Amino acid sequence: MPKIRVMPTLLFKDVGLVKGVAFDSWRRVGSAMQAVKVYNMREVDELVYLDITATSDGRPPDFETVDDLADECFMPLTVGGGVRTVEHVRRLLKVGADKVAINTAAVEQPALIREIADRFGSQCVVVSIDARRRPDGTYESYTHAGRRPVGKNPAALAKDAEAMGAGEVLLTSIDRDGTLQGYDVELTRLVCEAVSIPVIASGGAGTYAHMADVLREGRASAVAAASMYHFTEQTPLAAKQYLREAGFPVRL
Amino acid sequence: MRSIKYCARCVMPETKPDLFIDGDGVCSACRNYERRGAVDWDRRRQELQTILERYRSKSGENYDCVVPVSGGKDSHFQTIRLLELGMNPLAVTATTDHLSAIGRRNIENLKKQGVDYIEVTTNPLVRRKINRLALAQVGDISWPEHVTIFTIPVRIAVQLGIPLIVWGENPQNEYGGPAGAAADNVLTRRWLEEFGGLLGLRVSDLVGREGLEPRHLIQYTYPSDEALRRVGVTGLFLGYYVPWDGYSNALYAQAHGFETYPQPVEGALVNYENLDNAQTGIHDYFKFLKYGFGRATDLACLHVRRGRLVRADAVKLVRMHDGKFPWVYLGTPIEEIVRSIDMTLDDFIRVCDRFTNKKLFECDARGNLVKDRDGNLTKINYDNP
Amino acid sequence: MKRVAVVDYGMGNLDSVGRAIEECGGRPIVTDRAAEIETATHIVLPGVGAFGDGIRNLRARGLDEILREHAVVGGIPFLGICLGMQLLGARGHEGGVTDGLGWIEGEVRRLEPAGQDQRVPHIGWNEVSFTRASPLFTGVAPGHDFYFVHSYHLVCRDKEDVLATTPYCGGFVSAAARGRIFGVQFHPEKSQRLGFQVLRNFLAV
Repeated sequence: MPKIRVMPTLLFKDVGLVKGVAFDSWRRVGSAMQAVKVYNMREVDELVYLDITATSDGRPPDFETVDDLADECFMPLTVGGGVRTVEHVRRLLKVGADKVAINTAAVEQPALIREIADRFGSQCVVVSIDARRRPDGTYESYTHAGRRPVGKNPAALAKDAEAMGAGEVLLTSIDRDGTLQGYDVELTRLVCEAVSIPVIASGGAGTYAHMADVLREGRASAVAAASMYHFTEQTPLAAKQYLREAGFPVRL
Repeated sequence: MRSIKYCARCVMPETKPDLFIDGDGVCSACRNYERRGAVDWDRRRQELQTILERYRSKSGENYDCVVPVSGGKDSHFQTIRLLELGMNPLAVTATTDHLSAIGRRNIENLKKQGVDYIEVTTNPLVRRKINRLALAQVGDISWPEHVTIFTIPVRIAVQLGIPLIVWGENPQNEYGGPAGAAADNVLTRRWLEEFGGLLGLRVSDLVGREGLEPRHLIQYTYPSDEALRRVGVTGLFLGYYVPWDGYSNALYAQAHGFETYPQPVEGALVNYENLDNAQTGIHDYFKFLKYGFGRATDLACLHVRRGRLVRADAVKLVRMHDGKFPWVYLGTPIEEIVRSIDMTLDDFIRVCDRFTNKKLFECDARGNLVKDRDGNLTKINYDNP
Repeated sequence: MKRVAVVDYGMGNLDSVGRAIEECGGRPIVTDRAAEIETATHIVLPGVGAFGDGIRNLRARGLDEILREHAVVGGIPFLGICLGMQLLGARGHEGGVTDGLGWIEGEVRRLEPAGQDQRVPHIGWNEVSFTRASPLFTGVAPGHDFYFVHSYHLVCRDKEDVLATTPYCGGFVSAAARGRIFGVQFHPEKSQRLGFQVLRNFLAV
């Protein structure tokens, strides 16, 4: 059976990696090359690399940096940030990305998902959805690195993207991001139940138990984390060992 | 191409991890230093006395504390100050990778201040493998040294039942960092991971590489939480309790026999620090390649903050000395240093290029780094416009 | 030194495959030219994308003929990866029916979920179990995981062509071979240690 994937997320801002809390208070955490090499050493299941200011800067993806990093990356790599055209996707795939994540463009140009899926296959299109919980318990989706509300709940957005040909969802809880307090399990479950494509849970992981929770109750196919790996002594490998003991199928 | 932003007060670039530049263009390290003026140092001194008193060995049959030392100016200051405060410290050294002659002489001088002293040297054959692995994987040849600087004194503290470890400087106070860390002066495992600069590489990552097994990595292994709790090991930063200044420490140390280098150390601006490890030149150089600042910048900032150097002069000195390819360090040629870790100079240069953050340096039309005759890079900008 | 022609037909993660080949001791030559394919010791056909586009791009560059000449006829060891494996089939059913290279008899069809929570595309690590011995899997223990990222798969007509299967969506062929023509549905260049073992094994053929 397919194994639960445990993947680190790298957020790139301007010149290097950063980590934030609730998509704010960005802290520089070091060299991207170093992080890629360390995770490569650790043979993680997959790596997610997002350029978080590409869209707000009005820039295309940074192909050169991705090229350099991908050269050191012998595991599956999902790259996102500023992807707006089919040509962007072609170039990213060429320089080493296996999948491309689309966030703002997925909302502003839904037809783009179809174009990319037709050209390169659904399996390389990841729709990246960032969401916040409203006081009434419902959820709102956001684009532009969490700054612009879409006016659609994440489950509906995911469904539409799936219909357009997206192959996977990267679902991030903005509220939980960087807090190490646990994933938003309910958000994850809502989206997982709305689609039949894999969903990667992201935002809030602080302990291995959090991962088990979102996999069990949220029904995610994979768990992404960043702060947990940057700031504590926990590792993807130890996470998988914990998950295996908890009865999940993992690659060890 | 965007430009690098620098602190308006010192000359630190924003690319340094954990550094913030605020709305006025002033960096968090400068702001931290500013706050020093508001510190009640008398009160801090009393707090220090209280802590020391609490941990002093009542029976006198054990040491009052462990003081991790290297033989450098800060080690001298820490040790002498503890002796002056009536403590009986056990000085503990984790031997550096490539100990220099002057480094050895300074260690001998430190012992002469009047302390029992333990030096732990890790297996050199294992060490050079780790140096090479760390250089290739995380671009830090000194990674093993940074690990053992923490693990060895803590292991000794556990093994000898000495709860208090007196470190020198809290890197977060002077060099900036999230307020959370600056407010916490006790060394916990979590602190180590979050701010100890372990670069994400862990001892466990080494197992299975180049024949390394757990039995080779004993000294690199931090004691368990259980062992730490049993002994009650805690650590404090002297730099939190006294107005820490590397230069004053150097003066104090020199007056007690500490030896300085005949000229400013390569890539730095001074002759009184980082004298003990020939590999430090490489370590500093990689900081420059990754983040755009080297040892000269660090030192210039320290002196600017204390009013010993004006910013304009600091900018000039940094331009002259920062980030030069480390052909020689403490008089040791680079070929000798890389050969001692089983690398060729070409291998080394390839690793340098791999870790260089191209966004910070001038590149040609084909995207290759521009290097001068001596292999030096040029930053895209050395100051704010 | 093995000269490995990595076929460039405008679709594929050429860099990744090239880098992996380098790590495995080969010299990758990214090319679409007959002269370079002819003098290669091995040929690799990567592929990311749709079947129809894939075969059209190959034909447009005359690569279907060039590759047939050197791999099928000339006997140069050949490895198709992911879409590259699917193109070896006789026909593809992605977005209409299209003829493939036809070197391994079979149809390329969409994965159909066969149980609760079987999601398509098939993305992630999954077991590869061998149905017969092959030099491609020397030193690889059965049942270990390789990385898959696909929605379609090659249904082999002849059992002898099947090297390995993976239990998902009712079970599908994850590796096939006829003579020195090999195809793997997973990405060896992304499957780390085991993937590199497979690449090294291929280069030793």
